[in-house]
Amino acid sequence: MKYRGGLYLIGAVFSRSFYNSMRTRVVFVPLVLMFISSGCTALKEAQQRREERILKERNATSLMLSPSQATIKIHPDALRGESDHYTLKFAEDLRVLADFDEVKERWEFAESALGYMESLYDAMNQLFGFKPKHKIHVTLHHLYRGSNLSAVTRTDYRSGIQADGRYVKVIRGIEMDFPIRMYEKHGVRVHELTHAFTNIYFLPVWFSEGIAVLIQTEYAKGGTHPKFDSLEGNLRVDLDGVNQLESWAGHTENNPLTHWRYRYAYTLVAELWERYGTDFYIRVFRLMERDGLHQKLAGTMKTSFLVYYFNEAAGEDLVPFFRKLHFKVRRLTKEDILNQIEANSVRRRQ
Amino acid sequence: MRVKFRSCSGHVAVLLGVMCLYYGCNLAQQWSENYALSPGVTASDPAIIDGKPETIGQSQRKKGSGSADTDLDIPSEAIIYLPEKRSVYRIVIHSTNLEAFELMAYNSRGEWDKIYDKRSNKAPIIDVRLNKAVTTTGIKLIVHRTTEDAARRRENVQIRRENLEIQEGQVRRGPLRYYITGPTTALAKIAEIELYGYANYSKAEK
Repeated sequence: MKYRGGLYLIGAVFSRSFYNSMRTRVVFVPLVLMFISSGCTALKEAQQRREERILKERNATSLMLSPSQATIKIHPDALRGESDHYTLKFAEDLRVLADFDEVKERWEFAESALGYMESLYDAMNQLFGFKPKHKIHVTLHHLYRGSNLSAVTRTDYRSGIQADGRYVKVIRGIEMDFPIRMYEKHGVRVHELTHAFTNIYFLPVWFSEGIAVLIQTEYAKGGTHPKFDSLEGNLRVDLDGVNQLESWAGHTENNPLTHWRYRYAYTLVAELWERYGTDFYIRVFRLMERDGLHQKLAGTMKTSFLVYYFNEAAGEDLVPFFRKLHFKVRRLTKEDILNQIEANSVRRRQ
Repeated sequence: MRVKFRSCSGHVAVLLGVMCLYYGCNLAQQWSENYALSPGVTASDPAIIDGKPETIGQSQRKKGSGSADTDLDIPSEAIIYLPEKRSVYRIVIHSTNLEAFELMAYNSRGEWDKIYDKRSNKAPIIDVRLNKAVTTTGIKLIVHRTTEDAARRRENVQIRRENLEIQEGQVRRGPLRYYITGPTTALAKIAEIELYGYANYSKAEK
């Protein structure tokens, strides 16, 4: 009421038209200001979003690294170097080459290589959320096992029976061997370092290679094995009708199936990665680390054991998916795995 | 006796002018800190932005098509990404084998613009002063030629004659064939890439 009375009073003092125009202005000016202000904010936000998107897209085209703060020490003869997470040495066949026969050349190379590998280590640690406990021993060769096309990472472990009679595997060291020509390829370095990080879980070869190619291709943009367009359409089975991935013994095998195996393993691993999210395998490794059962199983890890952790991380049963791809898997529970471990230890005690 | 003082106002003016000119020139040459050493900067090889000239980084080959014929001409490149936009006026490249190259800047549309081109270089330190400022979040060096390309070609391109055996003991000279066993160009060895703007501008743009 008071407000209305006030308006009538103003109306009496000023003319009716002036009052109307003032009323219009009073309503419209703040509205226009509000629109401009919100428009500017929206524009600013849109611009910010666009810039963020462009920065994100920019980062998706190549593997970019920050310089590492690690300490690097090179021996006086520059035949060996050491950093926080690596040792590096030059094999004898490399030291005789023109580019590596002088201390200055080796020194420069070793310091730069260790710097790069430390930066890559930091990036992989950030990606996976874990790291191996041991230093990685890198040896650079001219030819490794007679070839300049084969880089190899070995995770050496010791197995034995604990005081309580249970079998256990313990990592003793990680070694990487690169022919210098392979070391030049950053994608190969990423591939091998993925092995160094993930092989501490004693993974089946097909999964170990699949995830290494996945990280090399999707993360480091340095892949050399293209994906198949269909898992079912490119399936290859052995005489028992089992997927040819399951009998993959590793790098050392010179087999006509090798190229297919890399491609198929990558396609399979990428399929689950796309389906369950980019952190799917990180969840799988976390679950394995929590249980610590991978260390207690004798021999190499079976695909059924791996699929048990896939199921846990995905929240659904993936056994039918693997069976459809002719993997010889069975649905396991944690109890089954524990019983197997127990059975092994009982047998060994007998 | 009347003492005559010689007027020195002209000298003072000249002196002042020279001082101003010197000060002005000095101001113009005040480079910012090296942006490549700022926190959050990343590179395709971290050795090129670690501030240590004794560590040598390399350019990297772009992912190829998988076919040797198609990939022969793909140049290698080195990339630096800045965490925020900077106005870059000067780029210093420390490289012992870089001969021909291009510099590109990442623009706000998410594309690379060519900002500099050098066809023949012999200097180990290449100091590039750009004609106009480039406001960017990324600089890319595209390597077209290095001093080690010829050696790499000799190593990886082999010419062999494919002779044909027509009868027992008789051989017909066959055609010459090129065999490519590896990359035909060498990677650029880059100790450092430095990026500078003007000191007085760099703060205003932040």
